[in-house]
Amino acid sequence: MKIRAIELTNLRRFAGQRARIDGIGDGISVLSQPNEFGKSTFFDGLHALFFHPHRSAKAPVKTLQPHAGGAPEAAVEIDLPEGHFRVEKRWLSRPAARVLDASGRLIAQEDEAEAWIDRLTDQGLAGPSGLLWVRQGVLGMEPEGAGASEKSERERALHARRDLLSSVAGEIEMMTGGRRMDQVLARVNDALAKLATSTLRPRSGGEWARAVDEAATLTEECAYLEVKAARLGAELRQRAAITRDLAQLTDATASAREIEALAEADQALKSAETHAERIAKSEADLRLARLNTSQGAEAISQLQQLQTRLASAGTGQNKAREALAEVESLTEKTAAQEAEAAIRHEATREKVVALAARLDHAQRARLALAARDRAASLATEYDRAERQRAAGETYRADRSLLKITRTLLDKAEEAQAIRDRLALQDEARLVLVKISYQGDARVLMDGRPLAPEGIRLRAAVGLDLPGIGHMTIDPGLVAASDLAAQLTRAEEALAKSLSACGTSSIAAARKALAEAERLDGAIRQADNLLAELAPEGIGALQSRLAEARAAAGAAETEPAEEPALLQDQLQAAREVEATALAQRHEAETRHATLRESRAARQASVQSADQILAAVQVEAGDLVDLAARVQNLTAAQPALVQAETEAAAALARLTENAPDLATAQATVSRLRSVVEGRRRDLARLQSDLAGVNGSIGALADEGIEEALGELRGREATASARAARYEREVKALARLRTALEDARRTAREAYFGPVLREIDPLLSILHPGAALRIDDTSLLPIALTRDGQDEGLDILSGGTREQLAILTRLAFARLFAGSGRPVPVILDDALVHSDDDRIEAMFTALHRVAQDQQIIILTCRQRAFAPLGGERLIARIERA
Amino acid sequence: MTYRFLHSSDLHLGRAYGGFPEDIRGRLREARHTVIARLASAAREAGAIDVLLAGDTFDAETPSPETLRHALRAMAAEGDLRWMLMPGNHDSLAASELWRRVQADAPENLVVLSDPVPVELASDVWLLPAPCTQRRPGRDLTEAMSAPTPEGAIRIGLGHGAIMDFTSDEGSPGIIPPDRARLSGLDYLGLGDWHGRMQIGPATWYSGTPESGGFKHDTAPGALVVHIAASGAPAQASVAQTGQFDWLRPVMDMLPGEDISARLAHILPPETRRRDTLLRLEAAGRLTLAERAAFETQLAAIAPDFGWFETDLARVATEVKPYDLDLIDRGGALRRAADALLSESADPSRAQAHRDLADLALSRLYALVQEVDA
Repeated sequence: MKIRAIELTNLRRFAGQRARIDGIGDGISVLSQPNEFGKSTFFDGLHALFFHPHRSAKAPVKTLQPHAGGAPEAAVEIDLPEGHFRVEKRWLSRPAARVLDASGRLIAQEDEAEAWIDRLTDQGLAGPSGLLWVRQGVLGMEPEGAGASEKSERERALHARRDLLSSVAGEIEMMTGGRRMDQVLARVNDALAKLATSTLRPRSGGEWARAVDEAATLTEECAYLEVKAARLGAELRQRAAITRDLAQLTDATASAREIEALAEADQALKSAETHAERIAKSEADLRLARLNTSQGAEAISQLQQLQTRLASAGTGQNKAREALAEVESLTEKTAAQEAEAAIRHEATREKVVALAARLDHAQRARLALAARDRAASLATEYDRAERQRAAGETYRADRSLLKITRTLLDKAEEAQAIRDRLALQDEARLVLVKISYQGDARVLMDGRPLAPEGIRLRAAVGLDLPGIGHMTIDPGLVAASDLAAQLTRAEEALAKSLSACGTSSIAAARKALAEAERLDGAIRQADNLLAELAPEGIGALQSRLAEARAAAGAAETEPAEEPALLQDQLQAAREVEATALAQRHEAETRHATLRESRAARQASVQSADQILAAVQVEAGDLVDLAARVQNLTAAQPALVQAETEAAAALARLTENAPDLATAQATVSRLRSVVEGRRRDLARLQSDLAGVNGSIGALADEGIEEALGELRGREATASARAARYEREVKALARLRTALEDARRTAREAYFGPVLREIDPLLSILHPGAALRIDDTSLLPIALTRDGQDEGLDILSGGTREQLAILTRLAFARLFAGSGRPVPVILDDALVHSDDDRIEAMFTALHRVAQDQQIIILTCRQRAFAPLGGERLIARIERA
Repeated sequence: MTYRFLHSSDLHLGRAYGGFPEDIRGRLREARHTVIARLASAAREAGAIDVLLAGDTFDAETPSPETLRHALRAMAAEGDLRWMLMPGNHDSLAASELWRRVQADAPENLVVLSDPVPVELASDVWLLPAPCTQRRPGRDLTEAMSAPTPEGAIRIGLGHGAIMDFTSDEGSPGIIPPDRARLSGLDYLGLGDWHGRMQIGPATWYSGTPESGGFKHDTAPGALVVHIAASGAPAQASVAQTGQFDWLRPVMDMLPGEDISARLAHILPPETRRRDTLLRLEAAGRLTLAERAAFETQLAAIAPDFGWFETDLARVATEVKPYDLDLIDRGGALRRAADALLSESADPSRAQAHRDLADLALSRLYALVQEVDA
């Protein structure tokens, strides 16, 4: 499409007028007029013609109406491949729209005309406007200031940007899906967000999660009820079994059979027990007969043994008495030998005792003499040691009175030297008043004559000069000197040092130090001597002395016999005594042995007497004893016969006896059967009651119904969860497909745009590149020398240039796709400097080779180098 | 003397319907309960006194106390009728607790047929029941129907279970022979277990359930009113409708270009019946994206009419034409995404589940774009 003429009637600036621009060429056409001419009115009128329906009464349309009112009209003449057309619109009052062909023939009007324009602007697609509009204010280049006019202008610029973006966005939307894509994606994301997390897991609180949770909960509840149902089934089966068992147990015929069998068994048991009693009696009879027989034989044996024992006891008694007599004779003989040995031994022992006493006395005398010598020696040492100790203590006492040390003396001497030096300095500083008397007259000071040697003045003094008067001598500031204070402190230090030394002068201190050193030497000497005399201390020495004296005092002092001689005699006497003692012990041993032997023989005799007496008592009359043996022997065969008969009787009873144990076992078994039946009956009835109770409780819960319902609900919930899962997967797949497609579209879109921009950009900024945001699809940064510069930090002129270049690139894209669209710039280059604006003109001409560009500007001189067709607006009364 | 009675079975009182939403679940359970009253009305209309229930009166061996008590009270309320309850496989005699409770709480007009012995219903009319001893007894219980009755008496058999399996030469043990009526000299054999109504022989019928509980059977639920004029005379059976809910399972096989609305209107019940209708629509065939979207919209619009409504579109293939994709977009990223999904859904090298997912995603894209453009 190419615009050839624009005509406005009664439109805003042109109230009651018709303004027309003719002869718009293929390339660049420039309408250069001063401000307030109405260039923007042309711009807005043309925009309204293409984008606002003739019946619209919206604000943008109302702004077209002049203050004087009336219906604004706009018309445009265009060339299309199909031919030349005129499009007209009138708004607000008697609105109308018409399309005429080159011959003036009406092609379409009203809504058909609008549809014709729509087709023209969007080519039947939901895409581009067909026009690219650029006006002052693009990309944030807004007027500064807070005035009403500036504010109004900013709003207009904002509208312009929106218009511009919408015109570009149409194409972008067509390629990337645009707002529809955004809306679809938003709905997909909303739907997904309601159901799933970002990782496509069920979202907590969402329908999917609720379905999953519900299914899980119902599964658990089903499992719980299934356990109960299984228990109920098991208990129902158990009750059936119990009922069956109970029926068997309560069968009357079987019960009667068991009772009858028990009665028969009881009778058989009684018979068996009676027979067993008879056998027991027969067994007792047999045992008695056997006892009688054995007792008879036993008695015969015992009597015969008694006869033998009586004879043996008599013989034993005689032998014991003979042995006793022999031992008693030997005992008397050994007693005499023992007495003789004792006498000999006592004599030798007394001799040994006497010799031992004499030897002890002699040895004691020798020890006493040695102890006296030792005590005398220790006494001498002790005296010497005691003297040294006393001398040492004396020295120490004297030494303790002296405080002086070498260090203290050194300090005192140093203080003395300081004091002397200061005193000399002080003295030298003082005023010396010295008088040489020649007569008797004397100068008086304080009423006393002043000595000839004079005085040194530290302060002012008054002198009476008899016959002359009174004279005052003032030494001035001498007294105030610091030296006096130093001297005072030195004297105090000296006094303190001397006090520490315990003396009043240095000489005394030196003397005291010499004395102290002498005393220290004496103390050391006394200590050394004492240590030598009493290494363990004087106390120990004293103890040893006392011990020696005690030992000397306790011993006999008179000398006795020679101990060695006495020792030999004693040894010989002891040997003799030992021999006598051995002989005495031998005799005593022999006597004791015989005494024991005699006692044993006496016991043997006594025992033999007792045995004989006892057997005799047991035997009684010896004649009757023999008769008794004979009688018993004769009665023994009858007892054997009785035993034989009793055994035969027992054998007969045992042979045909019933088995009592079997009878008892039979009764026991049958009784256990009957008892067991009763117990089983009671147990089963108890079990049945328990099972009935449990079944009743479970049946009251209607478990199967509840379980059936839960299973159905669980299946439904699971199916619902599965449907949600499938829905989430489908939505996720759709989202992926949409995002992939948009990304691909953007990549496809950016390529051509950048290819178109690059040559234009190189005209102004050689080597630079433009970076485009993949969301807004507009330039966001200029890259120069490898550095990204955001649009917001670029100069207004550069941003303005980039904005126009971007739109020119879009225009070339449209032209390249066979849909050439005009570019209209309304005061769009207001910030560019002279160099750049010329470069922009070059860029415009580069695009204008196959692109219509209409430029509206108030900068007549600045745009003179642009060249191109110069348009003239003709204005006439409407 | 003509003897009339009502033959029914498979009431399945207390059935849970857990797979359905709570509101319809409650209504279905209530319909199960109120069918007792509807059976009573049917009996009265037919001039019958006895209602013979051929098993599965209760759905579970241990129904809840409420289910049991409500049933017994409902039967007691129909005091002019006599209810003959025979255990089926669901409520067999093994359900000892159930029958113990029924016996303990039964009204006077209720008879439990717990023994396979003849019961005299009226003068010269004998009932020969074959109650189920277990859920799967493993033997033909109807042999008991050969028990003797007085000469010239009308013999009515009442059994529960499947008819003989003819796929094997000798039949399966535990299955009722189809000629049981002839074998045992019965004038009528009323059977239960099969929820659809079915005539097996001249005098042998499955009554079917009086209130449907699923989509399996196409016959309308009801009971059989039976007239027997005399021993040896042919039994006359007629149907009495007793069902409250219709369970419909229509199938729609569709092709692009069809008038789906008309098809749908044709298979759907009248609007006045829809509240008491459970409908599972199984769709198959092919639809374009637009048709499918329109179809789904229509289904969503009519769903609230029904007591329960479910559609299964899993077998509906989406036939996508360029025009359909144009409705998403004629170019740009949206069209590119649609093309990618379409290509993926038709890619034979991919797993079917993957293709189905792409197909579903494409349908969602179409629907979302229509929403956005609306």
